Amino acid sequence: MSISLSRLTKRYGPNVVVDDVNVEIPEGSLTAILGPSGSGKSTLLKLIAGLEVPDEGRVIIEGDDVTDVDPRYRDIGFCFQHYAPFRHMNVSKNIGFGLRVRKQPKDVIEVKVRELLELVKLEDKANSYPAQLSGGERQRMALARALAIEPRVLLLDEPFGALDAIVRTELRHFVKELHRQIKVTTILVTHDQDEAMEVADQLLIMHAGKIEQAGEPTELYERPATEFVHSFLGPTTLFKGVAVRPHDLELVSPSVGSIEGVVTSIMELGFEIQVTITLSDGSTPWVQMSRNEFRALGVTTGSPVSVRERVAQ
Amino acid sequence: MDLPAKPSSSLLGAPPARKGWRRFAVRLRSSSGAIGGGSLIVGYLSIIVLIPIAAVVAHGFSFSIHTQGWGGAFWHWHLTAGFGTFWTDVTQPAAISAIRLSLWLSLSVAAINAVMGVAIAWVLVRDSFHGKWFVEAFIDLPFALPTIVVGVVLLFLFGTQSPLHIDLFETWMGLMVALLFVTLPFSVRAVQPVLASLDGEAEAAAKSLGAGGLRTFVSVVLPSLWPAVLGGFGLAFARAIGEFGSISLIAGGIGRTTTASSYIYNLTQGFLWTNAAAVSTALLVLSLIILIASNVFARRFQHRLAP
Repeated sequence: MSISLSRLTKRYGPNVVVDDVNVEIPEGSLTAILGPSGSGKSTLLKLIAGLEVPDEGRVIIEGDDVTDVDPRYRDIGFCFQHYAPFRHMNVSKNIGFGLRVRKQPKDVIEVKVRELLELVKLEDKANSYPAQLSGGERQRMALARALAIEPRVLLLDEPFGALDAIVRTELRHFVKELHRQIKVTTILVTHDQDEAMEVADQLLIMHAGKIEQAGEPTELYERPATEFVHSFLGPTTLFKGVAVRPHDLELVSPSVGSIEGVVTSIMELGFEIQVTITLSDGSTPWVQMSRNEFRALGVTTGSPVSVRERVAQ
Repeated sequence: MDLPAKPSSSLLGAPPARKGWRRFAVRLRSSSGAIGGGSLIVGYLSIIVLIPIAAVVAHGFSFSIHTQGWGGAFWHWHLTAGFGTFWTDVTQPAAISAIRLSLWLSLSVAAINAVMGVAIAWVLVRDSFHGKWFVEAFIDLPFALPTIVVGVVLLFLFGTQSPLHIDLFETWMGLMVALLFVTLPFSVRAVQPVLASLDGEAEAAAKSLGAGGLRTFVSVVLPSLWPAVLGGFGLAFARAIGEFGSISLIAGGIGRTTTASSYIYNLTQGFLWTNAAAVSTALLVLSLIILIASNVFARRFQHRLAP
């Protein structure tokens, strides 16, 4: 295991922000800590980096207990949500900072910085200042700066949070690809479940300071251990009093003479269509289907329909 | 973070044409900072600052002004003669030593307070302690206190009858203590808001990259503070070189501790107006040079930091 957290607890006054967290993070994995804001996920990341001091528990990295080790000696690459650029240094100087602190020879630094510039595709921005970069470029610079010290662990705090949708998607692919190339154990914190499902090979779902469930994304999606994980990972809708995935429901023609419900709204989201039905018992489940399925059904608002759970094929 | 682009003003369309003062008022409102606001500022500065300064400079060079008949209506200045008397006035040994004293005192005071200002601002922004509000208020005291009151207090504390047994009467150290006191708020208040605006992420980043406290301060925090430190330096210097009240008592009346401002005052007491204006002009030029220099340096740093 690359990182083990045992009984890790952090309080701010009376608030328990991280509550008795026990987690093992496998070597070389790309783990996403996923949770709503205020769930303690960023604090957990800072505890691993040493930027916050735990009230209880231990942080073990590659077998070393680093709980009492100053962050500067933990060999951890940390990327901040707002990139934390050194604004008076150009991109090269930013990336080389950790190496200069480590008193590496000039020529070694130069070679290393050039490699990293290439890795994060910022070769032509080497002499630009952070103020002259776009959000995505700043984030890539921050990644290169963190990677320069060849960290044992790479920690990313909401790495895509401050970017617009298109750059965000680009950078997600970039991080995934980067991880494939350099295989450093990486943990990223996010509140966006799509992002977590797409990028990570391991998920930690956090809620109110506790880990709700850990495991592979598919496993968590299909076999959520708690109600919270179920509702947080992907959409849910209430059908017969039970929370189900709206794509596990389907619409069928009502049997003759028995109208079980009517279509009350249709939302067309490109490929995906969401149809809301008002059933005779007053409940309003919604059903998720593809555009093709929707066309084949041929329903419109007001159509009488019946709802049932999809039969696994 | 990228801020959304501001809507272009052309979307709003050109303001409708109006007549007379209303049009002027509209222009003032719509383009304050451009033409209307600009001329307003220049006009105000002329009345408050530029014209009095020009008067002093003119007097210093003892320009005489003749109109060559109504038709000509241009001014003839006795430039060569004026410059001669100016030069003799400012190169008097007493004048030179006064200006020199003022210069080195003000530069060192501004430098010392630049360092102390950063330290005090740091403590005020980053630490919390009992009585912080009192220190906050106390910093601004030199702004509020009449300088002659400072002079009286200092004379009492550091005069020949010093209760602390520290006699700084008629010494440069006495002057320095006075100047350090009156210029401190400039140095602290220039740095404090900038320090408060740093979110600490860059410092945490430096730490995670292996930098220690000193390294982080010198290579991450200080570069962001330079423009503010230099701004505070310029203001403190300007205040120090012009200071009169707080130093006039502790300086006593001897030549060794006569600063430029006291020297000018002494000249006016002897009705030597032209000499006084000449030394004032020299002081003005020196102050301008140092203010402009600190501004240029501050801009150079600011240029890179601008988001």
